[in-house]
Amino acid sequence: MSKQWLTRTQYAVVMALLVSALLVSAKSHGDTVRFHAWGGSAQVNGYLQWVAEQLEEQGITLQHVKLADTSDAVSRVLAEKAGGNLSNGSVDLIWINGENFAAMKKHGLLQPNWVSSLPNFALTNPSINPAMVTDFGEPTQGMEAPWGKASMVFYYRENHLSNAKVAQPTTIAELLAFAEALPGRFTYPLPNDYLGISFLKYAAVALNPKHRDVFYKPVSQQALRTITPSLWAYLDKLHPLMWRQGEYMVRQASQLQRLVDAGELALSFSFTAAEIPSAVERFDLPPDIRTYAMQDGSLANVHFIGIVFNSPHKETAKQVINFMLSPLAQSQKKKLAVWGDDTVLDIALLNVEQQALFTSNETHPSAIPPDSSSPLIAEPHSSWSDALRQVWFERYGARY
Amino acid sequence: MTAFSFNTTTTLAKWCLILMLSVPVIAGTFGAVFPAMGYFPAIGETQFGLHVFATLFDTPALWQMVGLSLFTGLLSTLLAVAGALVLLAGFYHLRWLQTIQRLLSPLLVLPHAAAAMALLFVLSPSGMILRLVTSLSSNESIVPTSWWFPYDSEGISVMIALALKELPFIMLMALSVLSQPQTEKKVAGYYRIGAALGYSNIAVFFQLILPVLYPQIRLPILAVLVFATSSVEISMLLGPNSPNTLAVSVLYWFNHIDLSMRMLGSAAALLQVVVSGVAVGIFIAVERVIAVFGSHQRLSGKRHSADLWVKSVAYSIVSAYCLLIVAIIYSVVMWSVAQYWAFPNLVPDGFTFLHWQTATASLTLPLVNTLQLALAVGITSVAMVLLTLESLSNTRSSRSVIDNVLPYTLFLPLFVPGVAFLYGLVWLQQMFIGDAIWVNTFIAHLVYVLPYVYISLAVSYKKFDMRYVHVALGLGKTPAQVFFKVKLPLMFPPIAVAFALALAISFSQYLPTILPSGGALPTLTTEAVASVSGSSQRLSAVYVILLAGLPLIGFALAWYLPRVVFTPHRKKTNIRDKRHTHGA
Repeated sequence: MSKQWLTRTQYAVVMALLVSALLVSAKSHGDTVRFHAWGGSAQVNGYLQWVAEQLEEQGITLQHVKLADTSDAVSRVLAEKAGGNLSNGSVDLIWINGENFAAMKKHGLLQPNWVSSLPNFALTNPSINPAMVTDFGEPTQGMEAPWGKASMVFYYRENHLSNAKVAQPTTIAELLAFAEALPGRFTYPLPNDYLGISFLKYAAVALNPKHRDVFYKPVSQQALRTITPSLWAYLDKLHPLMWRQGEYMVRQASQLQRLVDAGELALSFSFTAAEIPSAVERFDLPPDIRTYAMQDGSLANVHFIGIVFNSPHKETAKQVINFMLSPLAQSQKKKLAVWGDDTVLDIALLNVEQQALFTSNETHPSAIPPDSSSPLIAEPHSSWSDALRQVWFERYGARY
Repeated sequence: MTAFSFNTTTTLAKWCLILMLSVPVIAGTFGAVFPAMGYFPAIGETQFGLHVFATLFDTPALWQMVGLSLFTGLLSTLLAVAGALVLLAGFYHLRWLQTIQRLLSPLLVLPHAAAAMALLFVLSPSGMILRLVTSLSSNESIVPTSWWFPYDSEGISVMIALALKELPFIMLMALSVLSQPQTEKKVAGYYRIGAALGYSNIAVFFQLILPVLYPQIRLPILAVLVFATSSVEISMLLGPNSPNTLAVSVLYWFNHIDLSMRMLGSAAALLQVVVSGVAVGIFIAVERVIAVFGSHQRLSGKRHSADLWVKSVAYSIVSAYCLLIVAIIYSVVMWSVAQYWAFPNLVPDGFTFLHWQTATASLTLPLVNTLQLALAVGITSVAMVLLTLESLSNTRSSRSVIDNVLPYTLFLPLFVPGVAFLYGLVWLQQMFIGDAIWVNTFIAHLVYVLPYVYISLAVSYKKFDMRYVHVALGLGKTPAQVFFKVKLPLMFPPIAVAFALALAISFSQYLPTILPSGGALPTLTTEAVASVSGSSQRLSAVYVILLAGLPLIGFALAWYLPRVVFTPHRKKTNIRDKRHTHGA
């Protein structure tokens, strides 16, 4: 019996050693820069892994904290500030734009005035490119550096549409006709999701061509009263023709892509045009997918990376962002096979070698045709998101 | 080690266990009470009052959320209990239950989020079942637009998913009670007596055995009920959103970018405690009605209890589970290696390991975190529970108040909904422990793992043949020696199972990982849930397999190791072998 016990003691010792070894290894991630970024896209995750590998060579460890929702990180930082944690926060970098930025700015959660000190920021040519220092109408005040550009594109199942003898809609009015012809094959996410609210903004702007200018000022009751009647009239007709009769709407944009892949939807939309051919390459979308832009305008915006006010690694964080703004990192990000996110750099400011990084002859049947052009709709002032969302929920019920 | 210090150690462990279970839960609940009462200094709210509750009760569709929570929680638990009892009645005397239990084990070890994901693969409009039906019955190649699963506004999908997940757990609890030697003997005796008096086996089960069995599985069943009314994962993935259950709204309000919504979330979390309490109340009322009906039935002298009906239901449940599990395994494995897969084909167009490569490329850190947490939590919880049980068995003659309190503290974490106390806990941890992410997460996991480890080890402790202890003590061994050299070696198999259970539960924690760590401690489960919010169905399939595989490996080791390493017979041969080598 005692001999048998010995082996068990040995087992316990080995176990204890194993656990303590693991605990020690856990401690060594103390000095990493933590980048809180939405983690729902394999392409983005893969790209960030490439970034981390590049930075490792410079002796910087970058950890991508994959968020299901960016607001999780925002509320985390808020809670830290509320709890008196002013210099040792858990979030170093955060991928944001629009409302999350407006909220963080309002609560003083971002480090101001550091962006212009990044050598590579000058390459975005901010003096003639106000979009690099304005986030949904809100001045960035050096709190966040531009990272990429996106505009809204639509995509559809060519086989499904041609079998049903329906053409893809190219205006907001045609979208309703499409939904009548193929009921249950289109939906948009709840307005809590960025793509959901983007769809509402697109619809509101496209349905009110005579009142464009009101969208670029802070929202007012009168402005809302001007633009909502046409929006409600439209949505009241559209909802019953949507997927699940509009009774259930997806919470996250990424679910749209799954539903198209599953064959439940025949038409959908995205803010990252390049994600579509790349998803086809990864078998996450079928090969008969075609991408295009609406003729009555595509919502376009820039997304940013901010440094959090209580980050303990601000200097290293700046080095990380400077690398992400480098022609090498930006061109890698633009590759269709990687992520396909458009660069924020002004190509004219680059030298010939750097420009060569961006030239490519990648074409893909599912990608948006390179010669396609459609008018861009700049993002309305950030106060519109909240206002539109609120009136939407008042009209169509609280859906969480 | 003297007997005194060993006793001190075990008593200390008992106290630690009680504190570990009660302090986080009670403190966390208080952490929710203050914001709900309007006190939230972080955003400058210091006015105590009921205005937050007033806002809560003004929330549109609040009662619909409450109703949905009650409906899905109660009905799923009733269905699961009824189903488990029918299986026990139908198969106990046939001794098939172990086989059935093994059959159900994939659904038992699968974390709730993964189970919901797995059901999506099978039951959704483009899922395996409709593929099968469509490809057999028509030339249609388009996914149907009207189908009840998932997201139906009545919550039927959520209810069914919960019931499917709960039934194996209730079976496990019932079987562990029935396998205690005293109970096993008693039950065998009842079957003999019943048969002698002409009662059918099924009638014996419902009229004689159930009254003995039920009181012993009642507490776990109520815990299941509380969990079902307050769980987040399944209703988030399969539930409606016009609106969803109350627990999902609590989560939504807590995560809302507007911090003042946290006060609303706290108030809703307290309402959630009430809702779960109401569910328990209704359940107890249903129990009463059935008990009255049951005693009439017993006195009626009927020799059969709708035997044919019970049998056919039992067989249908088993075949439904078989079909479901085969379909889940098939579709999850297929999706994880699928290229394009058009509807309604039963096989993908081609195969690829791309999705596995994508998932495993970034898996090292989550895997290390998952294992670290689980091993630390497993070792701590098993050690604490063993020492506590030892302390209880030594003080059996003079039970103190604390010993009577223990069983109730055990169920505390299971009875207070996680969404209610975890946020309060995080708030308090931020105040008192600070940013010790690992320790905070470790504590949150421990709170959830301890009760299950306790339940599973307490049964084996009860089963332990005390004659070994008496002989050892009679031979002059100290209690410490008896514990380490007699009890532990003999109890190695149940300890291994409890350890595996601890690992499995720690693996599956989503909220207790994401909240205390603020997402900075990615584990397999958090990565998997993030992947559901992602755009790749195929990647999710890989995660479901990983999430199911990890605990299965743990359990397989727990069943296999004792047989190989610690059988007395093998031990002897080893010694002989050694002598032999020495001789040579």
